[in-house]
Amino acid sequence: MKTKIVNIIMLTALVVAGCSGPETTNIDIMNDEGKAVMALDYRDFDQAASKLIQSMIGSGALKKEGGGRYVVATGRIVNDTMQRIDTDQLMVKVETEMLNSGQAVMTSAIGSGADELLHETRELRDSDEFDQETTAQKKTLIAPELTISGKIFQRNIRYDRNRQQVEYYFQLKLSDVKSGLRFWQDEVLVGKRGSDKSVAW
Amino acid sequence: MKKLGFLLITLTVLACSCSNTKDSRIHMREGVGSDTLGSNIVTRPVTHAFSALIGEGLEVTEAVTRRNDAGMLELYVTGFNKSYDTKRFRYKVQWLDADGLPVDTKTSTWLPMSATGKTTFSFKVVAPRTNAVDFRMDTRKWE
Repeated sequence: MKTKIVNIIMLTALVVAGCSGPETTNIDIMNDEGKAVMALDYRDFDQAASKLIQSMIGSGALKKEGGGRYVVATGRIVNDTMQRIDTDQLMVKVETEMLNSGQAVMTSAIGSGADELLHETRELRDSDEFDQETTAQKKTLIAPELTISGKIFQRNIRYDRNRQQVEYYFQLKLSDVKSGLRFWQDEVLVGKRGSDKSVAW
Repeated sequence: MKKLGFLLITLTVLACSCSNTKDSRIHMREGVGSDTLGSNIVTRPVTHAFSALIGEGLEVTEAVTRRNDAGMLELYVTGFNKSYDTKRFRYKVQWLDADGLPVDTKTSTWLPMSATGKTTFSFKVVAPRTNAVDFRMDTRKWE
């Protein structure tokens, strides 16, 4: 009888232990030593953004002749990968650093970073409900001088019988609105090689 | 005795080939340039094993900063891979302001770098803020 009870307790303990699965942990994003994955993860975006920002700021393309800050609008950032990516994961970092560099201000009036409320609030000009002196007047928006746009795309290559190679390209370009001239552009490649059973999308 | 003689001759020949004046800016890889103690088929296993035994790795020989035309601080790091193996590593640069306090920036992240055996490596890092005056750099193995 006693042995049966012990057996049942041990069996229950084993079942409970088996069902618990891997423990959930928070990622140490400052020093993440986790394995690489075939898909794009936050480390890849951090790496790409860091390199692109350094390249752009280091090139001097944002240094305005005569001083002052450029007004920059964010254009289209195409996601041409097989993954569902919010391109803001890259662009928020880039825009933040452009702003904090003291060399550029971003506009929310137009472009992919546009804030709809900027235009909606201008419709309040005709409303009797609002003090007209507090509404935005006409011709107050500042037009952008530069635009930043880009693309993230992916190439899948069969490396050997069991492995695949996935190449992710992060491309950005900075253009002058008036002249159409491109002031800066760069590309960062993040390459991964792993099992072809891993899904890269 | 004959073997010892052969080994001595080989070492002498290799030593002579190593003593040629070389331009340190040009690296001739194994199989391209003349044999050295580290690349010769006879001596290679010994030299590689010894290098691994004493744990040869990377050495930073120079870290230079300068301010670019846009007023941003640039850091140029140069080093040498003393090992015979390719060393892959990551580095992270933290920028410091005039008070020695860290400048918060998205560019301070672990970035990959690779140096082939017995070669010089170098990389450049740009501070994205004008208030950066100094830096701290950390390294770790490429997982």
